[in-house]
Amino acid sequence: MATLVHPDEPRRPNIASADIQLPAVKDYEQVDREILSILQPTKAWFGGLLIALACLGLGIFSWVYQIHQGLGVAGYNPPVMWGVYIITFVFWVGIGHAGTLISAILYLFRAGFRTTIYRAAEAMTVFAVMTAGLFPIIHIGRPWKFFWLIPYPNWRLIWPNFKSPLVWDVFAITTYLTISTTFLFVGLIPDIAVLRDRETNPVRKKILAFLSFGWRNSEREWRHFARAYLFLAAFSTPLVLSVHSVVSFDFAMGIVPGWHTTIFPPYFVAGAIFSGFAMVWTIIIPMRRWFGLRHYVTLNHLDASAKMVLFTSLVVGLAYLIEFFIAWYGGVKYEQDYFWNRVFGQWWWAAWIMLTCNMILPLSLFSQKLRRNPTWLWILSIFINIGMWFERFVIVVPSLSHDVEPWQWSSYVPTWVDYGLLIGSFGWFFMWFLLFVKQLPVMALAEIKEIVPPKMKKAHHHHGGH
Amino acid sequence: MIGVFAELDSTVEAIEELKHKKLGDITAYSPTPRHELEHAIEPPPSPVRKFTLFGALAGVIFGYWLAIWGSEYWPLVVGGKAISTWIPYTVFGFEVMVMVGALSTVFGMFYLAGIPRLTMTVGYDPRFSNGHYGVWCECAPDKLAEVEAILRRHGAVEVRGER
Repeated sequence: MATLVHPDEPRRPNIASADIQLPAVKDYEQVDREILSILQPTKAWFGGLLIALACLGLGIFSWVYQIHQGLGVAGYNPPVMWGVYIITFVFWVGIGHAGTLISAILYLFRAGFRTTIYRAAEAMTVFAVMTAGLFPIIHIGRPWKFFWLIPYPNWRLIWPNFKSPLVWDVFAITTYLTISTTFLFVGLIPDIAVLRDRETNPVRKKILAFLSFGWRNSEREWRHFARAYLFLAAFSTPLVLSVHSVVSFDFAMGIVPGWHTTIFPPYFVAGAIFSGFAMVWTIIIPMRRWFGLRHYVTLNHLDASAKMVLFTSLVVGLAYLIEFFIAWYGGVKYEQDYFWNRVFGQWWWAAWIMLTCNMILPLSLFSQKLRRNPTWLWILSIFINIGMWFERFVIVVPSLSHDVEPWQWSSYVPTWVDYGLLIGSFGWFFMWFLLFVKQLPVMALAEIKEIVPPKMKKAHHHHGGH
Repeated sequence: MIGVFAELDSTVEAIEELKHKKLGDITAYSPTPRHELEHAIEPPPSPVRKFTLFGALAGVIFGYWLAIWGSEYWPLVVGGKAISTWIPYTVFGFEVMVMVGALSTVFGMFYLAGIPRLTMTVGYDPRFSNGHYGVWCECAPDKLAEVEAILRRHGAVEVRGER
């Protein structure tokens, strides 16, 4: 049975996410009209784009400066030879996880609350992975040699080390970027056809006709589309889990205190989903307010996604505690010393930012009132974004600066070049997202129409989408 | 002959009658996938899965082969460990399986759905992507009048002939 709930109704307990409907959306024409109205540029949008471009400019300047001066300007201090770049790489790969989780895994589970947010989340995934992919290239110092990691026939007749997690990463990230982009684009084809059919500018119409591949909404097209979409979702589901597992191997395969543990893959995957959902909130909550889309992304949708964030926060919190337990129970003094140093020693401030933002503050989501408060969810999302960046900081830096032997102990202070590139990464990400929002539908028109009751000659009870 | 409908049930009834009378090949249009239209047309199951299977098999074989061949060709001997090891190479097998399998699925969808399509001029109406449904019946010239009558009787808001 469909559950009809007013979008701004304050509270309603135990809403099954699969039953979420859009009672304020009456027909297909309304869907097209309201969602396509977002495509009109506004002053606020231009302002946002300008800020993003300014941040990107700072990032480009920092990178050019680093290429000119050498990697020494980046604050590396042996043996801490992984710093902000690798932290930011893992951060953005993690952000990229929510998109495919929402579009693929929740699709297979028939979770209704994904319908209106998955397009934005998918686009976010693609742009986040594009951002993440830059950082290993920035980190190697000589970016023009990055292609040496790719196995290809070459005149030197040498091949990369296939047992290296760094080469696994190249395959995992490349596959993830390719499949996420494909998934996003395939889902966009019918919606681009909607734009094409409404476009009056002949040049834009031709471009949209090209991008929609001549899609005509025929039953034959929909049948194969639905089947292909299902298989893409089925492929993407294990892919989501594999990508961050492989990223975690970059650490777990190293015999370094704090890294060499089998808990890393599930710990990383849960953290990635957690941070990805937070970034979805960071983007979606202002969007629903500014573009007047509160009847599409309703409080029920936010409530359901808050439950997911709470669940992944508990998993991540458990992983933090298990790490301490393993260090204590394993009886390895290097591990014990390292974890003490992480929480109460040299890096206490970073560890407590992580624990507060990722473990303690999300406990507020046990309150239904707060789960249905968009302002609180947005504030919490910022804390989680900060907390998850610091989680990666806590994983990378304290381990390298507090290795097995005391003569290896060191410290790490990022320089303005590190911060410039970190800020630049946000500029790069938001530039793409803002451009996307004004060119293509940020919500999936065809899928939203699926849950809107179709017009009927004979009125009868409708059971919602399928 | 193409009919534009405002209601889903009218469209389904028109398709059912056209099919029952075997007046020609029918194409249905809708702004979103509807099972009602699929049931009315009764098409065979989509064979996209075959493209998925063959793509995935080709990918997994290529992924393992690349890693094994590359290691044997350029051996990096470490501490008596095997030169080719299937456990870490499963990463390559899996990732390439997903990549090739997913791309071949998309290729299969394009191939079977007949896209990219170069022309939109015949048998389509822009309203089909907005809020209307459509029925296009490709029939012999002597059946045109009968098809038109059926489409109109079931409530088509517009019926026109195209060739």
